[in-house]
Amino acid sequence: MTKYVIRRIVQAIPVLFGVSIVVYGILLSAPGGPTARFANNPRITNEQREEFKKAWGLDQPIPVQYCRWLGVCNPDGQGLGVFIGPKGLPNFLPGVLSGGTNGVLHGDFGYSIDSGESVMGRITRAALPTFILASFALVIWITIAVLMGVVAAVKRNSWFDQVATIFAYVGFAMPTFWLGIMLIFIFSGPGLNILPAGGMTETRLSPPFGSNEYWAYFGKQPLAALADIGRHLILPVITLVVVNIAGDSRFVRASMLEALGQDYVRTAKAKGLSNRSVTFKHALRNAMLPVVTNIGLEIPFLFTGALVTESIFSWPGIGKLTIDATRGFDYPVLMGVLLITATLVVLANLFADIAYAFVDPRIKY
Amino acid sequence: MTEVIAAPSPLGAPPPDNILLDVRNLKTYFKVLDGVVPAVDGVSFSLERGKSIGIVGESGSGKSVSALTMMRLLDIPPAEIRDGEIWFDGREILHMPMEEMRKIRGNDMAMIFQEPLTSLNPVFTVGDQIAEQVERHKKVKRKAAWDRAIESLQLVGIPSPERRVKQYPHELSGGMRQRVMIAMALSCEPKLLIADEPTTALDVTIQAQILELLKTIQDRTDSALMLITHDLGVVAEMVDNVIVMYAGQVVEQGTVDEVLVNPRAPYTMGLLESIPTVEKRGGRLSAIKGTVPNPFNMPPACRFEPRCPYAWNLCAETAPDLYPAGPHGQHARCHLHTPAGAPRLPEALADHERKLNVGHGIS
Repeated sequence: MTKYVIRRIVQAIPVLFGVSIVVYGILLSAPGGPTARFANNPRITNEQREEFKKAWGLDQPIPVQYCRWLGVCNPDGQGLGVFIGPKGLPNFLPGVLSGGTNGVLHGDFGYSIDSGESVMGRITRAALPTFILASFALVIWITIAVLMGVVAAVKRNSWFDQVATIFAYVGFAMPTFWLGIMLIFIFSGPGLNILPAGGMTETRLSPPFGSNEYWAYFGKQPLAALADIGRHLILPVITLVVVNIAGDSRFVRASMLEALGQDYVRTAKAKGLSNRSVTFKHALRNAMLPVVTNIGLEIPFLFTGALVTESIFSWPGIGKLTIDATRGFDYPVLMGVLLITATLVVLANLFADIAYAFVDPRIKY
Repeated sequence: MTEVIAAPSPLGAPPPDNILLDVRNLKTYFKVLDGVVPAVDGVSFSLERGKSIGIVGESGSGKSVSALTMMRLLDIPPAEIRDGEIWFDGREILHMPMEEMRKIRGNDMAMIFQEPLTSLNPVFTVGDQIAEQVERHKKVKRKAAWDRAIESLQLVGIPSPERRVKQYPHELSGGMRQRVMIAMALSCEPKLLIADEPTTALDVTIQAQILELLKTIQDRTDSALMLITHDLGVVAEMVDNVIVMYAGQVVEQGTVDEVLVNPRAPYTMGLLESIPTVEKRGGRLSAIKGTVPNPFNMPPACRFEPRCPYAWNLCAETAPDLYPAGPHGQHARCHLHTPAGAPRLPEALADHERKLNVGHGIS
């Protein structure tokens, strides 16, 4: 098992390397760029624009920029010396040996072109809101999806199954942005106006979420602060739950139906076991095997967040950060988010595979 | 799933005490999109305590459906019990509440299935799966049930049962798995053991072992055996009585000696003629012409009539009943055994004898 985990982690390195190359290439090849925002501003001269590019290293060829971002190249080096760190050893080696400090290999994700903050600072600040929203949504939607799928399969073709099927198709076909806007329209519009339309906290009552002032306020009035976040959570959570239940409940239903049709279920019935034991011991245990994998693969969502939902509800999480960074050509932030996302996906896959070995005795590593 | 089938009123009288199983005019139909399939159409037979019966027939003849109906394992719908009664151990089981039936299933009446790999649950150990059944029916503690599981495994000849009991089905070979299935079926000492093609999925050498095991167990315990198979050779060695099924009906029944040595239904005759033997070497193998009738479009009278070498116009007009055809209670569903067919019988028997010995149309 340990050997297997180590092997999988080692295998992940070339994958992440490949992902970073491809993503970097695509991002920097996109038309426009961080200077596009100055295009219609006549007071900014061409020289100033070139100056800006030079300052951020954007004047270099894409491979060089990638090499610096990765930390293999030393931005201060000349000629072939770019590969050599300040201490005379290859730059990609750990800082103690090479003296190199730049690039993700040295843990430096750079600075946001947009705000000048460190990329890691922006990501960590956005991670907590995303985790709050995503964990609520994930727990609720998986619970409902599993219950709905199992009941629909056990009571196949009943009215419950029919309603669940219709709900799944509607939920599947409904675009997230449309559902989000409709919810805002209904619950935050002039008619009802009982829930906030967006954001994570009531800005008139509390400092911005995540700031030191906010935590001071939170310390003083924890219940009010929690209730405030809770109110803001309702609509985005509903949006995520409705949209994601659709697919997952179908998946659980299909898996459960397959299990219920298996020979060992007939054997369990032939043994004279109760309905409950046949359904919830023999069938469900087998039906959950693929579902566990599926849930494992959904875990990165806790970090990566929901791009559309967070944007619609102005939720200050990773999803919104990604959209904002994309709009502003904020390469360092985008690369940071995407690289962490890729890492989490790889880890989630590994986690799902390990979890599978625990639930299915036929799998051994 | 309908749990209770409406009881016919009134139920017939229970059979005498020495009869363990009495199936009366059982009709199990399947409602499908294209129509109704009469999978089991008026089957009757009985089985004495401790005796064995073989049900022979090709795929789709209704033999497995009969067994599943007895165990009440069919989903209703699509299955539909049109008629019939099943008396088991003095009680009518076809119309009893499912909760009652669950106490009989696995306890007094146990079943072994064809596919030992898929019939065992892959995520529970062998011991778990046997012990759970013992716990349910014998109301014993976990430990006692577990000991019983080990005993059962020992009974079916599994070496080092203390170790095997903790293994998962995928860790066992096909033959071992079928032994586990048998051990499971025997764990509550059933009065009736139903084996539905228990050797079809196994290697020939393993088949012999499993059949030997079933025979020994049947001799050693007082459980009755109902063996479903398409293999006439297996029937010859294993059971006392035999039922031949064709297109959902019993076409012949009697003792093994009667049916296999002196078959009286043309279908059984055809089956026996088509067994290859050394004597028939070089000749053409005799086969029953034509195919099994389309279940949506059964021949109106005798269901075997279109394929029968001895059929005459009566056979296409009137459906035959089961007529007495032998001295020891042998019955055959054929007009040859009525006064109208009696003149044709000697010629048919002679023809069968000839085909049996020399094969069909040596060139």
